[in-house]
Amino acid sequence: MDRALKARLESRFADVLQGDVRQRHDQTEIRIAAGSVSDVLRALHDEPELRFVVLADLAGVDTGREMQVTYHLWSETTRDWLRVIVEGLSRDDPRIPSATFLWQGAEWMEREAYDMFGIIFEGNRDLRRIYMPPDYTSFPLRKDFYLADDAARSPGAGVRHMERTHDPADAGPAPLRTGTGT
Amino acid sequence: MATTASVPPGTHRSTDDPNVLIDDEYALYEPIPPYPPRTERELEFYTPGDGQLYLNMGPQHPSTHGVLRVVLKLDGERVIDIDPVLGYLHRGVEKLCENADYHQTISQVDPLEYVSSLFMEWAPVMAYEKLLDVEVPRRAEYIRVLAGELNRIASHALFMGWLALDLGGLTPILYSFIERDEIVEMLAALTGQRMLFNYFRIGGVNGDLNHDFLSRLGDWMSRAVNQIEANLGLLNENEIFVRRARGLGVMDSETALRYLWTGPNLRATGLPFDVRRAHPYSVYPELEFDIPTRSEGDSLARYLLRVEEIKQSLRIIDQCLEQMPDGPIMAKLPRLLRPRPGRAWAAVEAPRGLFGVYAISDGSDQPFRMRIHDPSFIHLQSMAHLLPGHLLADTMAIMASLDPVMGGVDK
Amino acid sequence: MTDDLGRRDPRREDVTGGLGVGTRDVTALPGDRSGNEPGALVVGTGTAVAEPLVVRNDLWLPVDPAAYGGGRPAEITHLAELEHDERQRRDDARWSGLLEVIPTKADYVIDLLRANSLWPLLSGLACCAIEMMSFATSKNDIDRWGAFPFRASPRQADVLIVAGTLTTKMAGPLLRLWEQMPEPKWCVAMGDCTCSGGRYKRSYSTVEGIDRIMPVDVYVPGCPPRPEGLIFGMMKLQQLVKDRRGHWPERAIGPTVPADV
Repeated sequence: MDRALKARLESRFADVLQGDVRQRHDQTEIRIAAGSVSDVLRALHDEPELRFVVLADLAGVDTGREMQVTYHLWSETTRDWLRVIVEGLSRDDPRIPSATFLWQGAEWMEREAYDMFGIIFEGNRDLRRIYMPPDYTSFPLRKDFYLADDAARSPGAGVRHMERTHDPADAGPAPLRTGTGT
Repeated sequence: MATTASVPPGTHRSTDDPNVLIDDEYALYEPIPPYPPRTERELEFYTPGDGQLYLNMGPQHPSTHGVLRVVLKLDGERVIDIDPVLGYLHRGVEKLCENADYHQTISQVDPLEYVSSLFMEWAPVMAYEKLLDVEVPRRAEYIRVLAGELNRIASHALFMGWLALDLGGLTPILYSFIERDEIVEMLAALTGQRMLFNYFRIGGVNGDLNHDFLSRLGDWMSRAVNQIEANLGLLNENEIFVRRARGLGVMDSETALRYLWTGPNLRATGLPFDVRRAHPYSVYPELEFDIPTRSEGDSLARYLLRVEEIKQSLRIIDQCLEQMPDGPIMAKLPRLLRPRPGRAWAAVEAPRGLFGVYAISDGSDQPFRMRIHDPSFIHLQSMAHLLPGHLLADTMAIMASLDPVMGGVDK
Repeated sequence: MTDDLGRRDPRREDVTGGLGVGTRDVTALPGDRSGNEPGALVVGTGTAVAEPLVVRNDLWLPVDPAAYGGGRPAEITHLAELEHDERQRRDDARWSGLLEVIPTKADYVIDLLRANSLWPLLSGLACCAIEMMSFATSKNDIDRWGAFPFRASPRQADVLIVAGTLTTKMAGPLLRLWEQMPEPKWCVAMGDCTCSGGRYKRSYSTVEGIDRIMPVDVYVPGCPPRPEGLIFGMMKLQQLVKDRRGHWPERAIGPTVPADV
């Protein structure tokens, strides 16, 4: 836990941070909105006392209510990993600026986030499906994507704890998905 | 498929000959591209220049990296551009992990990079331990490091065999597999399985060191260095291999950072970035080892670097055996794990690079999101930067020197 | 001849030199029946004789109606009481003529040649491919069985060893590979993922077993199966080839699982 890092981040990004800078174990977490992604990432990458030059991960997350994109960054100036959570993306039309202007290697990770969640990365020159076939219409990792024969939604579900999904409202039988995506 | 460029007069094309029956269905079967290009990059790639052709190295090809499809845009023998197509091994591991217990996800992530399974288990286990605030006993940590470094040696030995196989040499892979079989039998004595070990547990490891494992390990260590030197001498001193691999697929460190390279590939370009030193985890701070680095950035450097890493791994194994503490091998945890809601990220230095897992817990007994970051995925992306300009025969060699494993690429 | 639990070891009788060549198939399990029932699912291992399925051969009829037994169905040599009997397999490899063709000694030798030089196609998809490579290299050497050349081209291969998870995206190319292989060809499903879907049975993008798309001759379970296990599977395949029990020449069996499961 690097307290100095927390102080630096709070002083530098005071206007764009949403909520506190949280720290746990060896991770520091900041939350921002989609509009400030480009500025924050560029500042984190370029500024000499931040120098977060390694993007370790770019992940999409579907929290059920909203979508988020999470970046994990490493810098030689601090002992912690920095986690940047971009929250507030709507589930109907999630759009966020792309990080490929800083790291070319983020292109495929954004393609994967698009393929799995449907998040549109504006500025990515190659935003198409990467894992699923190109004519696939659903986004598999969304929380409302269930398989037709998912045991968790069968009438016998709930007998064992492993057969329940996270949302207790979805305990009923699932309608057969016809392949129309969200 | 030939372009619609102008055909010199007097040429008789088979499509013009009424006596030749052309099966039109083959043209419809899978044209390149299979659908109209939609993105900028697709448009740029699928617009052929004069005299350029598209060659499909389909999902099944003799290189042993698994199922990767690469569409090459060729001008004669020279590669102009490439478009890799992934997803032929996408098994939906992240979705399956969301519907499984924390303990079950450990066996689910094994087949990601199946040649280095223990590292695939290590990262999620570390992430869950951060979520649960569990402290792992020191003996378990040392056993993890020991088994992990053995797996690293096996993986690098296999890399050497594959690289030689893709360059045309059929013998070194036999020697690789002799090495790998010995190490893997050792790990089978320790973990019970030859390949997808399922050995690490949240809070420790599954079984303690036993006599079978230790006797095999001792026997192997006594001749390991000489055996590895002899095997690698097949390639190090082979003029054909050296002259082919030198200068192949050169990457400089700035571009490598921009392409998010990690692991031995990045260290071969000159940057000494190793997760074990950059962000130490487990008991690596107590172990003494060097981080080999090379500055050339070509395939030969990537190969020689992994050779050095094998030697450093042997050094680490020696220290682990000397410093192995006594104690329990697993922390006391309840059977049904329900961590507090939170997020955790953990990254380890897998033989291919930085392997990270981002786990989100919502308080229930299944992870809410289990995001897996795989190094081979990132390295394959930079093929579009490395391959153009090389000849067709070098494409697979460059890919082999990047050491991708399609299980991890496709998840 | 009995071990300490008083069981008789059925493999100890009449084992001749080579494996599978001779009177007894050492790779056979007690429930196996070598036979000529291509379309019948063998349910149960009772000793009662099942009613044989006789499929009339309408594809080819001899000119002389009295030839080849005069149109009577040939005697079924596959009866349970003959199973442990010498009469089951004769030197000229006569087998019950569901197709009313009597193979000659040359066919027997050709089957032996085919069995001992099965050339696999390199179709390693995932983790099982590593064990397949391990089964091809020094320590467990499939070259001893003549299967060293892993052909890269399906046109030159005999066996398709599907090693690794089959995804929906890969199903098309894999089926095309299978169709490109010329007959005689056999298929080995290696690993749990190809037998039944394995650990990815509930996934959205995998095919639950390759027998949904192609006929399989030998299933080798395991995750991954040990190289010794795959060797056992190949030996079983060799026995199938010699017995003509595989899916060739009686093809188009279809998947063994109904499509709506």
